[in-house]
Amino acid sequence: MVVVGSGAGGGTTVRVLTEHGIKCALLEAGPMLNVAQEFKEHQMPFDVPHRGAEDGGAAYFGNGKPFGYFSTTSGGWELDGEPYTVGEGSEFRWFRSRILGGRTNHYGRMSFRFSPYDFQPYSKDGLGFDWPVTYDEMAPWYDKAERFVGVTGANHNDLPSAPNGQFLKPPPPKVHELLIKKACDKMGVYCIPNRRAIVTEPMKGRIPCHYCGQCGRGCQTASAYSSSQVEIFPAMKSGKLTVFNNAMVREVLTDGNGKATGVVYIDKNTRREKVIRARAVVLAASACESARILLNSKTTEFPNGVANGSGVVGRFLMDSVGFGLSGNVPALEGMKHYNTDGAGGAHLYMPWWLWDKHGKLDFPRGYHIEIGGGYGMPGIGSFQGAARRAGYGQGIKDTARKEYGCSIGFAGRGEMIPNMHSYCEIDRSVVDRWGIPVLKFHFKWTDYEWKQARHMEKTFAEIITTMGGRVTGLSAAQREADGISTPGTIIHEVGTVRMGKDRRDSALNKYCQAHELKNLYVVDGGFFVSNPDKNPTLTINAFAWRAADHLAEEMRKGNV
Amino acid sequence: MSKSITTRRDALRRIALALTAAGSAMELNAQEAQHVHSAAAADTKGGKYQPKVFNEHEWATVTRLSELIVPADARSGSAVDAGAPQFIDVLCSQNAALTAIFTGGISWLDAEMRRRAGKEFVTSTAVEQTAMLDAIVAAERTVREQNAEELLFARAPQYKGFSSYTVKPGTDLAPGVRFFDWARRLIVDAYFTSPIGIKDVNYVGNQALSKYEVPQEAIDYAFNRSPFRIV
Repeated sequence: MVVVGSGAGGGTTVRVLTEHGIKCALLEAGPMLNVAQEFKEHQMPFDVPHRGAEDGGAAYFGNGKPFGYFSTTSGGWELDGEPYTVGEGSEFRWFRSRILGGRTNHYGRMSFRFSPYDFQPYSKDGLGFDWPVTYDEMAPWYDKAERFVGVTGANHNDLPSAPNGQFLKPPPPKVHELLIKKACDKMGVYCIPNRRAIVTEPMKGRIPCHYCGQCGRGCQTASAYSSSQVEIFPAMKSGKLTVFNNAMVREVLTDGNGKATGVVYIDKNTRREKVIRARAVVLAASACESARILLNSKTTEFPNGVANGSGVVGRFLMDSVGFGLSGNVPALEGMKHYNTDGAGGAHLYMPWWLWDKHGKLDFPRGYHIEIGGGYGMPGIGSFQGAARRAGYGQGIKDTARKEYGCSIGFAGRGEMIPNMHSYCEIDRSVVDRWGIPVLKFHFKWTDYEWKQARHMEKTFAEIITTMGGRVTGLSAAQREADGISTPGTIIHEVGTVRMGKDRRDSALNKYCQAHELKNLYVVDGGFFVSNPDKNPTLTINAFAWRAADHLAEEMRKGNV
Repeated sequence: MSKSITTRRDALRRIALALTAAGSAMELNAQEAQHVHSAAAADTKGGKYQPKVFNEHEWATVTRLSELIVPADARSGSAVDAGAPQFIDVLCSQNAALTAIFTGGISWLDAEMRRRAGKEFVTSTAVEQTAMLDAIVAAERTVREQNAEELLFARAPQYKGFSSYTVKPGTDLAPGVRFFDWARRLIVDAYFTSPIGIKDVNYVGNQALSKYEVPQEAIDYAFNRSPFRIV
């Protein structure tokens, strides 16, 4: 068995397959993760001479690490020697992580299972496409995934947008969150315990969260889920898993009779091409990277690329609709400071609350709202707003002291409708430093997404003013794009190898198995048919688990 | 490497061991994790700093600017106490473009001060120095207001008092505004990321806690000041 990619999809796959006693090779395009060196969870800014501005103050020149020096991000929107191109008139930024565990080492841990209506969106409003599975079919897999990953939260029987699940005890809401909840109560917006992949009680060798609040820096204690620490390291101990690092996969090999036989990869250490043969191939390289591998695998049997008889590979690329707004809340001024770090992200969130009010809205589908606020660890840039307003002198200290902890922020994460203008394809004119043809992106937001972002803006401003606060700013990225996130920057890109009932308009069946090759599976965000306002990771965990069980069963039956 | 770093590494190693040895993981308690945090917080103090990039005059100017931009007060020290000049010197030593911003900016400041007061910046009186900075800040504010009006969204009522802006100076003081923006950015960051600055704003997080609680006193305080006050 060869598995390509070590994020949520690849990690889940190798864990489940090795538990079935199946030997796996796991190929990761980046290095091995060294938790003790890589995770800067417990550092303070003064522990390094550059305080987080990075060598030469790179962060000041826009050349710093995405999400800052202390984050454990390994990769970003631009990678040296691994370019991509963007079609004229389009904008798309492709985030890639290059390390064992991928983005799960630093992601937001938001873990939202889909709602029943999310699986059949076309049947509900005539837009986009239905999934080939129902909620009832997937609910047990979400249960398994939540129990394994460890997700905080609470059940609410009256909330179709946030179905009940298997939740650990959530941490108590912070002061600003209680004010936000009160404002939401007045507005008819639900504000409920957040659902995040953090264990608040001991679980399978993971100690409970110790509330240092630095999940984005990687979690030394694996209290916050990562595929590297929670899935792959334990699987390595089974003796059934071999990890190949710095292995950049170029194509899937096939036998001319509808079977995958292995993959070709470039060993980045030696820059030599190597082949791994396997009984089955599981791609989990990320939605777009897996599409790239399939499209680059052209044979006489598969002239459009392996598993692409339908022509949908690369099509229907989606990201989440993003919009953010921040405010200042005078009620919080002068409050006695307390530790607001908590379990990292917000302890409350707002699921979509207008699921039955589409007749009154000018856009389809919905969004959820994420909350920011509290006395965050001071870092590079934290008090620049205060400094600019004060000019210089004592006023800077006074303003910073007064305003610290009084800011709140909201980030909307909404569902886009898949469209024909948003896709990736192979750019035959450009190769990366490994000689592999690169992807070219095309992307368009439509009125559906723009109108949804305007609804977010109106809602966030209303929450802020209902709390007695005032709007203070849009984030720079969002201001640049005039009110909607730049495509790709929410890093929820999915849909490029979608599943479906009909092999004429989908690449995979409902088990993430290719229609055309029984021993090829794609278990990253590629299989998504729509991109509901539920951050994708938990759904990848659930589908990958189901796919791995399906593959093991197919092998047992001799079908693979 | 200082002793504290070694201790932190040891603690981290224990965490890693606890995680790999099944069954023993639960023995790692909050105190252990706290130890990691405390060890990380222990700062190392060296001798007198030797600037890597700045000459004596530039060093004196950066030091004076640090004092003026974030001065000491009854509660806490200045940006100089927080190591701002060292921070700037270290970054400049790794970045020629940043060095040019500072050395060029200091030269401009001196030339402008000679024109205004007949002396370079560091040897001018405190009154002359603050008059110079006041002029720069006034020019900066004019630009900020102009820019804010260009932002469409800032016209909507909910954006009253909107504060973000981009510096595009168009006056004679433009080089000064640009340099001052850089100097203030680095000096303020150096201050608030130092042990002094973090204590000043009273950040009390990055601790290892066995239980997370929100004080009722804080909840009552904020609610009583909010529109949701319970009468």
